[in-house]
Amino acid sequence: MDRRQWTAFYLSAPPRLPLASVFGHMINIDHITKIYGAIRALDSLTLVIKQGEVFGLLGPNGAGKTTTIKILTTLSKPTSGRAAIGGHDVEKEPLAVKNIIGVAPQEINLDKELTAEQNLRVYGMLHRLDNLGRDIKDILELAGLSERSNHLVRDFSGGMQRRLLIARALLTKPNVLFLDEPTVGLDPQVRRQIWDLVRNLKENGTTVFLTTHYIEEAEALCTRVGILSRGRLIALGTPQELKGEVGGFVLEYQENGNTRYILCQSREEAHSLSQSKKGPIIIRESNLEDVFIKLTGERIGKAEQ
Amino acid sequence: MFGSYPVFLREMMLFRRRFLRLGYFFSAMFAPLLYLLAFGLGLGHRISIAGGSYLDFLLPGLIAMSSMNNSYTWIATSLTVGRLHFRTFQIFIQSPVSPFAIVLGEVLAGMVRGLFASSMILLVGFFLGSGLYFIPLFIPALLLNCFLFASLGVVSGLKAKSHEDTATFSNFFILPMAFFGGTFFPVEEMPRWLQFVIRLLPLAHTNKLMRAKCMGSDCLFSLAVLVIFAVIFFVISIHLVRTYSE
Ligand SMILES: Nc1ncnc2c1ncn2[C@@H]1O[C@H](COP(=O)(O)OP(=O)(O)OP(=O)(O)O)[C@@H](O)[C@H]1O
Ligand SMILES: [Mg+2]
Repeated sequence: MDRRQWTAFYLSAPPRLPLASVFGHMINIDHITKIYGAIRALDSLTLVIKQGEVFGLLGPNGAGKTTTIKILTTLSKPTSGRAAIGGHDVEKEPLAVKNIIGVAPQEINLDKELTAEQNLRVYGMLHRLDNLGRDIKDILELAGLSERSNHLVRDFSGGMQRRLLIARALLTKPNVLFLDEPTVGLDPQVRRQIWDLVRNLKENGTTVFLTTHYIEEAEALCTRVGILSRGRLIALGTPQELKGEVGGFVLEYQENGNTRYILCQSREEAHSLSQSKKGPIIIRESNLEDVFIKLTGERIGKAEQ
Repeated sequence: MFGSYPVFLREMMLFRRRFLRLGYFFSAMFAPLLYLLAFGLGLGHRISIAGGSYLDFLLPGLIAMSSMNNSYTWIATSLTVGRLHFRTFQIFIQSPVSPFAIVLGEVLAGMVRGLFASSMILLVGFFLGSGLYFIPLFIPALLLNCFLFASLGVVSGLKAKSHEDTATFSNFFILPMAFFGGTFFPVEEMPRWLQFVIRLLPLAHTNKLMRAKCMGSDCLFSLAVLVIFAVIFFVISIHLVRTYSE
């Protein structure tokens, strides 16, 4: 997706900025709890996201990422707590919220029996777009799907469907874009295209809320990340801050056939610790994955069994 | 209100796509045509009801039945599958359209489906030589019937926990109603106590209106029953969309 083209599309009708963006808080999550039967999917989640941020929500399977997006996009009502987007309460003013958001869900929910153009047309009409024909043409071009415009979505590859899904969410030029695992199953090239797209959106002042399992994706894109585990936010900050908190360096060594990690504040500390370890060792700068593993205990827990 | 157009349009696009597959068309029209041919031709010459031929009696009944079936089934299935399997229904919820508009769009689409099936049967009936004379309440009763059962389709499409639920509901409620509600024989043939139960079924009133030659107070009562059912199902549908939550 060419940056010039992209900017032209976006500026052809700048997004309507909601009142609350004046105060800078685009997404406000206030002690949200969501209970499904015996499962506490979200446990008193509190989070504020500013306008223009690219926020990444990380967490293992079942942590509550999709649930968070469902509540923010009015698909699910919280058991308790409040949330607002652009100053509009998601439960009390759902229409105002729906007017300024775009959603690309985790499951590809396109009408597979309809063409790409028909999918976009229905969606655009639901949002009462004025220049629908032109917008559809432009967005299909940006998504690299112009030639496929009149083909049934059923016949698209997985990557093409994912691109169309994101294109649909962008058709209305939303103020806030939700991307639930936007690059799952995509080849590296298309994944880079989507990264570029998110960076362009950031430049245009769009607030992006994304979830991902790819740590490098969060590091590459996000101004801030939150780590969710069993419905609780266990860490929040810029990627740099989080890495600093757990230690900037990592010592990797082998023990009983398992790889162990020790997080260290400095390279020197890692060096001195490595003296007592036998076998191959690696000392490197920490990344978000180390933060993730340390905080959620996921991989460490498995290694110690 | 205007938001109902894209909801309606989408169903029509899907309908057209299915329709282009002829196999689908035949399977949808097969049952009523089978009834029409088997009962109409088989019994038609021997039996006369209320002074007319059996075919003349059967035809409005089959129209009521298939307008009910088609309006209901199409919408119930489309919503159940769209909500639970393809998750396309969620697009409506996340778009700035009112619950009223969503329900209206779906109901209108269900009505088109029901009216389409009805006109097919009407056409076949004419070829078979049914002398269906002009009945004043035929059209309003047909429209109300489609509206009512499409609304019921929305209710069941939003309530169903699985695709089987829709089929179960259809088997236990819709199908018996078709058989007892005066499609194949007059309700008056039934035992008295059963007649009382049948009067509570909307389809019985549609059947009555579609065959009534005049507009007595009895007809107005039946008309009122249909309107009340239609309003109830429609309001429940709106409520279900408004309170939709995963
Ligand atoms: N409709 C539902 N009914 C019952 N439980 C649910 C429902 N939706 C989600 N859950 C439960 O809530 C928890 C959080 O699920 P959620 O889909 O938000 O996780 P996630 O972080 O998106 O996971 P993943 O990375 O696998 O997509 C899980 O334990 C899940 O089983
Ligand atoms: Mg998820």
